[in-house]
Amino acid sequence: MTNSINEIEQAQVILVSGSNTTRTHPQVARRFFTAMDRGAKLIVIDPRRTRLARHAHIHLRIRPGTDIALLNGMMRSIIDENLIDDLFIQMRTENYTTMRDMLFGIDLAQAAAITGVPEKMIRRAARIYAQAQRSVICYCLGVTQHIAGTGNVQSYANLAMLTGHVEQEFTGVDPLRGQNNVQGACDMGALPGVLPGYQSVADPGVREKFARVWGVELPVTAGMTLLDMTHVPDSAASLQTATPAIRAMYITGENPLLSEPALNSVRRTFHQFDFLAVSDIFLSETAQVADVVFPAASFAEKSGTITSSERRVQLMRKAIDPVGDSRPDDWIVRELARRMGYAMDYDSPAEIMEEICLVTPIYAGMYHDRLDREWGVQWPCGGRDQEGTQYLHKYSFTRGRGRFEPARHVEPAEPVDSDYPFALITGRLYFQYHTGTMSRRTPILERESDQPLLEVHPEDGRRLGLRQGCRVTVVSRRGRCRFVVELTDRVAPGNLFTSFHFAEAPVNELTVEASDPVARCPEYKVCAVRLEEVETC
Amino acid sequence: MILDPSRYVAPGVSGPQGFKPIRKNIYLPVPAQVREILEENALVRTFVLEFDDPLVNQEFTYEPGQFMMVSMPHCGEAPISFSSSPGRAGSFALTVRRAGRLTSAMHRLRPGDTIGVRGPYGRPFPMADLSGRSLLFVAGGIGLAPLRSVLEFCLDNRDDYGEITLLYGCRTPADICFADDLEQWRQQGVHCLCTVDEADDTWSGRVGLVTELLPEAGAEAASWRALVCGPGIMIHFVLSRLVEMGFPRDHLFTTLERHMKCGVGICGHCFFDEKLICREGPVFSMSELGDTRNL
Amino acid sequence: MLDSFVLDKDHLLPLLRKLGKDYRLIAPVRNRHGDTLFTEIHDLDKVEIDLEHQPQSSLKPFFFPQVEVLSLYGLDRDAVSGATWYSFYPQLPENRPTVYFGVRSCDMMAVMYTDMIFLQSSEYDVYYARHRENAIFITIGCNRPFANCFCNATRSGPFLEHGFDIQLTDIGDRFFVETGRARGVRLRKQWSYFFRDAAEEDKRAQFQAALEARGLFSRLVHVDLVTRILARQKEPTEILAELSARCQDCGGCAYICPTCTCFTIHDQALDEDRGERLRTWDACTFSGFTRMAGGHNPVDPERQRIRKRFLHKLLHDVEHHGRTSCMGCGRCVDICFGGVDILRFIEMVSENETEPEETP
Repeated sequence: MTNSINEIEQAQVILVSGSNTTRTHPQVARRFFTAMDRGAKLIVIDPRRTRLARHAHIHLRIRPGTDIALLNGMMRSIIDENLIDDLFIQMRTENYTTMRDMLFGIDLAQAAAITGVPEKMIRRAARIYAQAQRSVICYCLGVTQHIAGTGNVQSYANLAMLTGHVEQEFTGVDPLRGQNNVQGACDMGALPGVLPGYQSVADPGVREKFARVWGVELPVTAGMTLLDMTHVPDSAASLQTATPAIRAMYITGENPLLSEPALNSVRRTFHQFDFLAVSDIFLSETAQVADVVFPAASFAEKSGTITSSERRVQLMRKAIDPVGDSRPDDWIVRELARRMGYAMDYDSPAEIMEEICLVTPIYAGMYHDRLDREWGVQWPCGGRDQEGTQYLHKYSFTRGRGRFEPARHVEPAEPVDSDYPFALITGRLYFQYHTGTMSRRTPILERESDQPLLEVHPEDGRRLGLRQGCRVTVVSRRGRCRFVVELTDRVAPGNLFTSFHFAEAPVNELTVEASDPVARCPEYKVCAVRLEEVETC
Repeated sequence: MILDPSRYVAPGVSGPQGFKPIRKNIYLPVPAQVREILEENALVRTFVLEFDDPLVNQEFTYEPGQFMMVSMPHCGEAPISFSSSPGRAGSFALTVRRAGRLTSAMHRLRPGDTIGVRGPYGRPFPMADLSGRSLLFVAGGIGLAPLRSVLEFCLDNRDDYGEITLLYGCRTPADICFADDLEQWRQQGVHCLCTVDEADDTWSGRVGLVTELLPEAGAEAASWRALVCGPGIMIHFVLSRLVEMGFPRDHLFTTLERHMKCGVGICGHCFFDEKLICREGPVFSMSELGDTRNL
Repeated sequence: MLDSFVLDKDHLLPLLRKLGKDYRLIAPVRNRHGDTLFTEIHDLDKVEIDLEHQPQSSLKPFFFPQVEVLSLYGLDRDAVSGATWYSFYPQLPENRPTVYFGVRSCDMMAVMYTDMIFLQSSEYDVYYARHRENAIFITIGCNRPFANCFCNATRSGPFLEHGFDIQLTDIGDRFFVETGRARGVRLRKQWSYFFRDAAEEDKRAQFQAALEARGLFSRLVHVDLVTRILARQKEPTEILAELSARCQDCGGCAYICPTCTCFTIHDQALDEDRGERLRTWDACTFSGFTRMAGGHNPVDPERQRIRKRFLHKLLHDVEHHGRTSCMGCGRCVDICFGGVDILRFIEMVSENETEPEETP
């Protein structure tokens, strides 16, 4: 997030896209409500009529995967009504003319046709967003998990820059991050092309710095993305010409055999491994097929930091000793390294953090003893005695000027057709967490949500003779999966929605492997399916 | 209350306050053995049970309308109404529709297996007040189970009651429960009318909602009493219709179903407005219920 | 007539040290992260007993733990017939004699309420009883109510008239001491040399402290008015629906509430044939609280999620037990991040009242 979560309360307009915020980020949703109590307007862009959408002043119910068309329409309307921020564009951005020329080619009627949102509503939303002093954009996986994910994100950035709604307190572009520490994982270099603190592996100076601390030479090229590692193309496997790219894998705290798209392809890839090791706190679906499983300690059994969406690094303190033979992740990794001939000699997580502070400029002040005294510190933080950073891009963008990157609408990888007439959207439920490794073992959470529900619009339900609670098989070109029908107008006619929490209904048997070419983020949010084998109840 | 599981309770520890008399542990189930399983239809089975302890078996009594908390291994507990008449000592019957985890586990039981039960709980039908009256039973689907307990009790004490009419509605013919009993009740002089919402090839009887049978029941609004059980929405429509027909609200009785955990008025799950169904119900007269739209 | 004494503040720690020899001692302790929680004290010299802040949790977890094993169960299989034999082995908790020190009036009142639910309803809860039976309460009146407190409006504080074993009032360098129930009288007698009889000026000081405390509440909350409105008028369905739609479904209010006693019972398998039957806190705001097997839910979560909670506290318990089961401790106001706490409800209902009415 460029802003802090608390700043949202001061916003005048909140534009939320692809986020079921009350369910997935309740602490952020709470700020939306506070802002609305103070008079803020809420615009929600979502194919689903989520609970937040019902509270919204404007709900732009787009067809899945049409964000770019909608945003280009909104921006065209902003230019038409001369609501752009000239000064901001001139002082802080570049490439505006290309952007403007592209927008002049946009036809609002066509945008309305692509998105399914009436032209008038597009204009209204654009006006409300542009006119306010403090408008904030919050987006989530509904924006990124598309083959046009990068273009989607760039379009939201374009919109913010066009109207000058960024680089200030209370206004900006705020991706709501997922798991409590996905931000921290990215910060620590769990990305193919960067070392901790987003320092590029291509930069010799950076490599040199890390090499001195770690005493090893670092690879020059970027690594592989998760998607590439878990989905080795079929042709490569069947040809048997060369040895497969990956022979062994060590997975920690992930359950790709449930969470990755197109599970068929994941299974095929895993089948080629000579060796698989998994560490997890429970025997997940992936751990069940591993050669070696390391029992890991849970969050309550170890100390360390987590970094939240608003870049706040917070210290979590051990509450209980590890249960049974389980060990903290850092212990497992250090022991593995030691036995593989590389001694990682750290006595505590705090000592590891000292090294992070040393080599990671944005984390330079994040010492444990300091975090212990404060309620977390927001990066960038340049030193022990420096305060953190409440909002980003004050005075200038990280890269200098903000660059407009015009984007054009891209149809989803697998549009619906007569054989597969429904667009299946996948997402999350409130009471389950990810692949349910923890939450499905928690009785109250499991009681609240113990069935793989498939949201079907009542009209579709009537047409196909589906009753509430009956079972139905969803079939895509890649697989089939059985769900329990929930008739609800949360989904639009022609759309279906379900979650990926349930191992008994692994929805990723159905999803597509196609991904965004830049970020390699899979298109979890749309695939074409049909319904079969209705069993009444 | 005859079941006294206190014999399972470990002796109390004497503290500085001295020895305390041991109270019985209300959460402790007692083992009961499945003697017989009757398949009512594809989703509904009746389990005839008896306690392992013959003494308990002899002394155990209950009244129509009450329920037991049934335990199944790893499934927790669920409330199940008696479907048998208490007059027939030595065993009791629970009729169960397969709906969730616990009931599915029950459907996997075989004769000779034990389950855990505690009870009986809840306020029964006011059998003494009903005595001398003609009775109209209106049931929907599995809702016939608790009414079967009343009906068989009436047949066991035939002289105490006047005419008996049963109106029974099901969604499809395949949902009908107690088909053999229906036949036997007819032979014993019960006026039985059945209807289904959706007929199939096997069905030659009535098609339509159970409320449509009410005018044919021959029930005299002023003197008869009516007992209604089924899905909440069905109860609402039947009760409303009976009121229109002139039945006083305190002559109409129903039994409600709720999510329950303790069965004894503590856990809070089974609320209906300010009432707790397990303690103040599950049997209510319509005059006690107020708004019935949300049953 | 309550007997009254004085305990010099200097003598508090020595007294607690004596008590600690015979009793488990539980008191509000401020930990190094700045949280004040009721904590079992093993070494009085190593902890900081905190009477300046409201304990973040009530005494509820000591008598009604968040998770408690009710029994173990096992399944035996007959090798020949395959028939299963299913048996239960109850696990009763220990009943160690315990002194609860520094208990606030609202929390004491809450214990009296939960006693009624678990011990005086139609059935008797042996688990609660075991936790509760050897407890002694030394309460402390609140000279300065905390930010969200409204016990004056629920008539459960800031000082108690009854229910405590011993009640302390801070009157400067000493505590004014009242003995209530028999255990408190016994305890005071056993350690009589710590106490002296209260003089007239001590009594005046206590009265003054109680008087001043009443004027220090920062919130004006119309609990009685709302109870009357709810009893007299139609249910405020629109207010309940508006707040239900905002409720974030976290259950925090019920978990933190000292008088929320709803629970669920479930089985935790240990292996294929053995397991524990557990009782766990539950919350009426959860959909699964009322949803039945098969999926029907008599409560519409979208419009009625918080209905039971507020009507139970402010109306049904007044009808059943003669008083609200909200003790005005204000903890749920702190914990609710959806902005649908009981104070907001009370405010909305009382503002919605059309006819002006005098407040008591």
